[in-house]
Parts: sequence; structure tokens; C-alpha cells
Amino acid sequence: MPRRVTLIACGAVLAAAGALRAEPPAAAPPASPTTAAPTEDPGKRLYARHCLSCHQADGGGVPNMQPAIAGGVWVKGDPGALASFVLTGGFDSAQRKESAVDNVMPPFAQLSDEDLAAILTYIRQKFGGGASAVDVAQVAAARAKIPR
Amino acid sequence: MRSTSMLQVVSLTIAGVVAAAAVHADDGLVLPDGFTATVVQEGLGAGRHLAIAANGDIYLAGRDGLVAMRDKDHDGKVDETQKFGDVQGTEVRIYKNWLYVSDNVGVYRYPLKKGELAPKGARQTVVAGFPLERQHADKTFALDPKGTLYVNVGAPSNSCQEKDRQEGSMGQNPCPILEKYGGVWVFDGNKLDQTPANGRHFATGMRNAVAIEWNTAQKALFAVIHGRDSIDTLFPKLYNAEDNATRQGEEFHQIVDGGNYGWPYTFWDTKLGKRVVAPEYGGDASKEPEAGKYPTPLVAYPAHWAPNDLLFYSGKNFPEQYQGGAFIAFHGSWNRAPEPQAGYKVVFQPMKDGKPSGEYQVFADGFAGEMEDNSPAKARYRPVGLAVGPEGSLYVADSQKGRIWRISYTRK
Repeated sequence: MPRRVTLIACGAVLAAAGALRAEPPAAAPPASPTTAAPTEDPGKRLYARHCLSCHQADGGGVPNMQPAIAGGVWVKGDPGALASFVLTGGFDSAQRKESAVDNVMPPFAQLSDEDLAAILTYIRQKFGGGASAVDVAQVAAARAKIPR
Repeated sequence: MRSTSMLQVVSLTIAGVVAAAAVHADDGLVLPDGFTATVVQEGLGAGRHLAIAANGDIYLAGRDGLVAMRDKDHDGKVDETQKFGDVQGTEVRIYKNWLYVSDNVGVYRYPLKKGELAPKGARQTVVAGFPLERQHADKTFALDPKGTLYVNVGAPSNSCQEKDRQEGSMGQNPCPILEKYGGVWVFDGNKLDQTPANGRHFATGMRNAVAIEWNTAQKALFAVIHGRDSIDTLFPKLYNAEDNATRQGEEFHQIVDGGNYGWPYTFWDTKLGKRVVAPEYGGDASKEPEAGKYPTPLVAYPAHWAPNDLLFYSGKNFPEQYQGGAFIAFHGSWNRAPEPQAGYKVVFQPMKDGKPSGEYQVFADGFAGEMEDNSPAKARYRPVGLAVGPEGSLYVADSQKGRIWRISYTRK
């Protein structure tokens, strides 16, 4: 399903270029290749800064230490639930016993709604088969529900 | 094949000191000239430590339980494999006619009887009741010839921050974790049904000494300790990712009665070649602790290599230069990312009279393979356990696919 969503979303852009492929819209050729500066995805940059050493560049995690997130329920599921989990940290109670890991995830409530939205969008698109983006309002709503 | 071996030789030279090395093994493992490796058994799950009885029977501990193996026709391949017991953990050691094993909360033993491969006798509890933790919970141990049991009780923490692994959180001072964890506790390995309260607090300031071993010739305890993680993500104003990947040494120490090895207040900075105060405790990336308070490591190995087993060699098979030296199984890094991962090898540390007598040498390499995406989960193999067989070969266990190799000196 997520793959199909990607195709539809990209269809309009890529069909014009005559290349119907499952690539994110950012891959579409810029209007002027000679002048356009490559802009780094802030989600990718922030993932590298806060998440990568545990979950790794491929989202594969570390055996017995930190779980893989690539292809998992969190990056494909409800954006609000994902935002809530990342804000509060903890062990993933949905994890199967045989894939249990040692390390607990710290909470990331110190990050802004904007930064979290960028990270969560990045991991859903890269590791969740192109799952929907997470917007700032969804992170803010999840934050508002955290008991103080 | 030739280009692969060239690549491996090049990577070895970068990673550490090595003499002539080439592919001399199943799986393309890279060993010093004159040595060969063969696969003894495979498919045993997430293996951890190994022990080998005087008759050559092999015992593997692991997260998937205990396994006993026998090579009946002495061709270097296991012919009989039996799963047994109900202990899932890391350590396995043989003392007299007992197989000592551990899980995250206790140390147990099974009787080893003539003719039995997997022990049939009931499991006895030596010590039980360690608090159940997840982080650094493996209760690895060493036994001396009198049966004194030295248990590594790892700290369930990275650096004893008020909030574990959270950016900027300062260290608890004094660190209350050290009361029950982060050190070695001593028990009588011949006594049953002890609790942690029966243990004597032998040494402290050790984050997690998975690789712990008694040196019979030196009559002394040694350990290689897992250093702390994430100086960059926790204190980004002081350290960058390259610092985190390269500075916190994995410290090799002789562990003495009453010793304090500096965790969580300090770590050995391999870039500066000195002990520094941890950032959680007011460190500024170069500030030193009070002089003489904590010992200098015998050797500090590169950051995050993850020393998971230690063995002093006194077997009959290897050349003279290996006698009395230490083999260390480095499981390989994860916390070096996004910098290149490292470790994933067995190192030989030359030693004389209990002191290092030369630079460490990469002894066995090539376990991890290409390791696509710099991802530990994609390592082919990760060395985790070591043992010496009665013939003097070195056995190495892997945690990725549950493979065991036998490395022998085969030059005539």
C-alpha cells in the first residue's frame, strides 16, 4: 500500500518527465540544474545527529542492543503514535520477545516540534516505504497529550 | 578472490599492527602466516562464550541457550550437537568436574560426567538474585584454581547520568549505581545457593567487563572493559562524531582487590593519551582527574571495539611468541556511526610476566565482511567468545550466525 501511494503522489511530476518510477518528488529534475544548490533534507541531518548512532544509517538497528526501525510498525503506522513514542521514549512494548533489545530509548522531548516532524517524516519516507509525512501539528498534538 | 584478499590485507594494516597476513581459512578469515581456520560448527544462533573440556567436548553459551558438541572422529568438524539446560546467557567455564554458566541474574553449574556430552545431572545454583536489568546485564565471570568466583556485574547505564543517555544530563555524584553494579563481586564458587549479599565487593568503576579472566600463571585477575558511548550526542559542544568514534579507549587492566577503574567519572582518552574527566562530571574534553586516583590501563584499545572475551594462551599448538599472551575477541562497534564501524576481530596482545610486551596484533580478521551500509546488523560474523582446545587450537564463537571456528598453527 505505501508503495502505491508513493507512485500516485509522484505520478504527476514524473509522468511529465516520462519516467514513472517510485522516487520521491525531490528527485524530479530542478528547473535550472546549473543554478540550483542542493539542499540537504533537514530530517536526514537531524536523524544523523540524534538517531543514527543507535538505529544506524540503514535503520537496521544493532542486534540485541537497539531495534531495527526499517520496515517496522512504527514508521508505517499512525504518525501520532510514533510522535508520542519518540517524545516519551521507553521500551517498545509491541516488540516481540525474540527481538527484544537491551537499550531503552531516551525521550526526545527536548527537540522542537519542527525538528521532530522533520525526523519523523524522514524515517517514515526512508524506512517506512514512503509512509505519509508527519506535520508539526501532529507532533504538537502528541506533545500536548504527554502527562506532566 | 585475489582482490578480496588484497583488500583485507590493506584494511588490516590501517586497523592495527600486523605482520604478514593472508586468507588462510574458511570464510576468508585473515590470519597470520602459518595458521589455518576451519568451521567446526554453524547455525547455533546468537552464540556468546565457549568452554572446552579436557576431552575436547565444546560447550557454547548463548541467548538461545546452551549447546554441547563433540567431534568424534577428530577431523575438526562437530559430529554430535545437543542442546541442553534452561540457561540463556553469556558465560560458560569449566572448573573441576563442573560446567559453570550464567544468565542475567545468576551463576549456576551442571555436573560433567564421563561419557555424558550434555550434562544429565540437575542444575545447581551457585549465586542467584542479581537484579534483573537489560543493559549490560550479562553476568560474565572468572574462576581461579581454588574456585573463587569473580562476577562482573555490569552497570545498567552509559555514564550514570541523572537521565541515562539524554543530551546534557549531568552525572550523579556519587554514582549510586556503583553500590550494586559497575564492578566485580567475589563469591565462593564451591558453595551453593548464595545471594548477591554474600558477595564481597572486590573492584569498582568498571562499566561492563564482559571480557574477564583469571591468569593462572600470574595468579591475577584481568579484564578488558567496555568504555562509555555517545560523548558527541550527549555533549555536542565538547565532542564531535569523530571524537566519539575514536577517543574513549577500551581499557585493559589487571583487576586488583579494592581497585577503582574510573567509570563513570572518567575515561581513557586515546587521542590525548591520558585519563580525562567525563563531560557529565565537569570534564571539558581535556581536564584530568586527581593524579593517581585511577590506574593507567595496561593497554587502551580503540573506542567501541567491544571487548567481549579474554583468554591467556598456554596451549601446545601455537608458536613460542604466543605463550602467556592474551587473545581478545572484539565484537565490533555500533556507536562509531556515522563514522566507519571498527573492531570485529580477534587481537593478540603480547605479554610477559603479566605486562604487555609489545604492540597488539590483529590475529584474526575478516569476520564482518563488506558490512553494507556501515550497519552492524549486516556484519557477516562477529567474534564474541574464545576457548583453547586440549590440542592447543584457538576456538572462536560468532554471535551473528552461531558459527564456531578452530584456528590452528599448521606450518610444519
